[in-house]
Amino acid sequence: MTAGPLVAPVGEEASSRRTYRSGWVWWAATAVVLLPALIPPISLAWQVITNGTGSSVRFARLVELFAGTLALTGAVTLTALAIGTATAWLTTRTDLPGRRIWMIVAALPLVIPSYMAALTIIGATGPDGLIETVFGVRIPTPYGFSGAWLALSVFLAPMAHLIVTPGLRAIDPATEEAATGLGAGRLRVFFTVTLPQLRPALVSAGLMVGLYTVSDFGAVSLLRFDTFTRAIFTLYAGQIDRRPAATLSVVLMALALLILLIERRTRTRAGYRAGSTKHRRQLLRLGTGQRAVALGLLGSYAALALALPMGVLLLWLTRGLVAGNEIGSLWEEVGRSVGVSVGAAVVAVAASMPVAMVTTWRRRRYLSELVETSVWSIYSLPHIAVGVAVIAFALRFARPLYQTVTLLVLVYVGMFMAQSASTIQDSLRRTNPDLEDASRGLGRSALQTLARVTLPLTQPGILAGAALVFLSVMKELPATLLLRPNGFETLAIRIWSSTGEGFYTRASAAGLALLAVSIVPLLVMTHRDLSP
Amino acid sequence: MKRSIPTLVACVLVVAACGTGSGDAEGPLVIYSGRSEELVQPLIDQFTAETDIVVDVRYADSTELAATLLQEGESTDADVFFAQDPASLGSVASMMGQLDSSILDKVDARFADGDGRWVGTSGRVRTFIYNTDTANALPQSIDDVVDPAWSGQLGIAPTNGSFLAFVSAMILERGEAETLEWLKALAASEPQDFSGNSPIVAAADTGEIQGGLVNHYYLLRLRAEGGGQNAENLFIPGGDVGSLVMPAGAGILAGSDKQDAAQQFVEFLLSTSAQEYFANETFEFPLVEGVDPAEGLPNLDEINAPDIDLSQLADVLDDATRLVSEAGLV
Repeated sequence: MTAGPLVAPVGEEASSRRTYRSGWVWWAATAVVLLPALIPPISLAWQVITNGTGSSVRFARLVELFAGTLALTGAVTLTALAIGTATAWLTTRTDLPGRRIWMIVAALPLVIPSYMAALTIIGATGPDGLIETVFGVRIPTPYGFSGAWLALSVFLAPMAHLIVTPGLRAIDPATEEAATGLGAGRLRVFFTVTLPQLRPALVSAGLMVGLYTVSDFGAVSLLRFDTFTRAIFTLYAGQIDRRPAATLSVVLMALALLILLIERRTRTRAGYRAGSTKHRRQLLRLGTGQRAVALGLLGSYAALALALPMGVLLLWLTRGLVAGNEIGSLWEEVGRSVGVSVGAAVVAVAASMPVAMVTTWRRRRYLSELVETSVWSIYSLPHIAVGVAVIAFALRFARPLYQTVTLLVLVYVGMFMAQSASTIQDSLRRTNPDLEDASRGLGRSALQTLARVTLPLTQPGILAGAALVFLSVMKELPATLLLRPNGFETLAIRIWSSTGEGFYTRASAAGLALLAVSIVPLLVMTHRDLSP
Repeated sequence: MKRSIPTLVACVLVVAACGTGSGDAEGPLVIYSGRSEELVQPLIDQFTAETDIVVDVRYADSTELAATLLQEGESTDADVFFAQDPASLGSVASMMGQLDSSILDKVDARFADGDGRWVGTSGRVRTFIYNTDTANALPQSIDDVVDPAWSGQLGIAPTNGSFLAFVSAMILERGEAETLEWLKALAASEPQDFSGNSPIVAAADTGEIQGGLVNHYYLLRLRAEGGGQNAENLFIPGGDVGSLVMPAGAGILAGSDKQDAAQQFVEFLLSTSAQEYFANETFEFPLVEGVDPAEGLPNLDEINAPDIDLSQLADVLDDATRLVSEAGLV
């Protein structure tokens, strides 16, 4: 899961699009896209109800997993929000030297999947770790809660950064200037004026980070912290009876949905209308000392989130190569990863069009809200649970699709469609419906208008959406692990399996390849989200 | 933008086309391997080079693949199941066909399924790994392992398949109640949790822990990489599950439409070259007459292994998982 600009610009109302008045086609398309996605989780829940829960899910164990998952989620969300808000504020509000570059630097760690974040921590600490190799000091590897918390916080902060940055820009400078004019200090202005107005963005960012943490599998597995996802995989991989894994999957899905629904209630009540004064904001001038502190903070973040992972990967790679280990060809893995990522991005964008259309219409408000909630519900489902659900469903009802690339891509589309839908929605909201009406008025058909007017105008959203989905699929691990066809090893799978067996040379080469491929879509995305 | 719509449709079709066409008689031999890729792939490559049979492998945990096979049922694409432990093999024995006697005759009947549905291909033995500087008396039976002297100094991998197979064997030997008692005693000695065997061996080598329950070959692998000088394997002599022999093995799915190729693969695993590969590359015990174990290992007959019907391990595997969880080890 990767964050996009998830909320519509605050206070903006969807315009009705008269051009596409015969809306039933769009509604039908939306149904075609959404209904299949709802089947697997429902069928899994049904199976658990009818087949029973299996023997080894103890109540005490459930409580333990709940506590672990919630504690980690809370801690990671708060920390990532704090880091992301700080980087966003420093790079949008102050006259920091090179702030444009820092803005992108703070977003870059988004390409690093959570399991690589965990590997970074493992590779940097402990005997012969990067830190001991370079500085001669040995830091014990923080297995358990602290390690998982650190890995996820540092590498999810860019999500918060990307959502809070546009949020900060949307705030009318007049309110803050008024407060300053009335004699409030900087800190007071930030906490009493800026922060409350930032609430919708913070809630969104918190939701994204929180949902990601609840469903993260890679970091908690490698750093050995027991959460639902780790327990599900342990049961799935270690037990013949699949019912306990299915039961935990249903519980985890329910937990994620609960978090989502709570957020949606909060969101409708939050909301500050952007004011009409659109005068330029004065950047805050930092003193020399403040500037040093700001640069120090951003620099240490970049060191931790970018230099450290790269350092660990390079250390492993050189160590392995010196020792004579072979990496073997990775081209096939690169091809598979890029292939499914492009496929999923293209299909997701196409599938998002009708969803984005109907949710930006003003008519049939309840129906369109239902669509929107459904899309986000599917997005919030933890991937490992989706994998368990889809396998069970495909084996019983869609055998020809089982263990095929087609099914894998369709599952990716379902899981990540919310990302492309939201960027396309955003673009649609920004386009003026009068242009479409003019096109119809001049004699073009609805289809021609769609191709010639609506799609070109939505192009930025389409591109950004495709980039987001591409990036998410590149990084995805648990669903791929469960659903890949025989012999279909992607870069993510290669990193995972090579690490599991202690073949770090190969894992690091695959990791570097994954980062290299991911950087292009990330730049496409940051260009859109961060450019003023 | 207009031009991109046909492109989009084309992409979707290409993706869809990639996904179809598995499971026909013309396709590759499909092997579900619970043994790791790094270990097995060189063997597979050699097999393909010798026979021209193209192979597709699904790598995952043995138990996971067994459960997958059961879930897939008759519609599975798999032709051969090559697993790390007898419990996984046994749990899908009902889906496997009887092996040819020419295959079964090569291996001691102790290391094959009683009904001849799977055959052992190499032997792995449970051992007690210890730091050579330890002041504790070495365990003479599995019950000595939970002695308070080792409290806080043991390493275990409670979710690992081999540990669970060991617990399963204990259930067969002693029954559930006594096994649970033993597991609770182990939990009370506050062992350190590891994700797998090899970190336990590494920790015993550095002295981070004093002892641990592992399989025999991890130490030899560590030594092959230059470490492992401060750790030693103990084949617990008491004749109990502490020295359980767990063969990795293979069986052929009854529903496979590539019986010939599948049989060739199983025969290949028992060939001298494959047995030597197991002995010298993975440091497991070869199970076919005429191939010696790696240097520094005793002969398999010299180990005081318990007398357990390995075919029954599968029946109690899920009970083992449950007991481990009940004892509070996971």
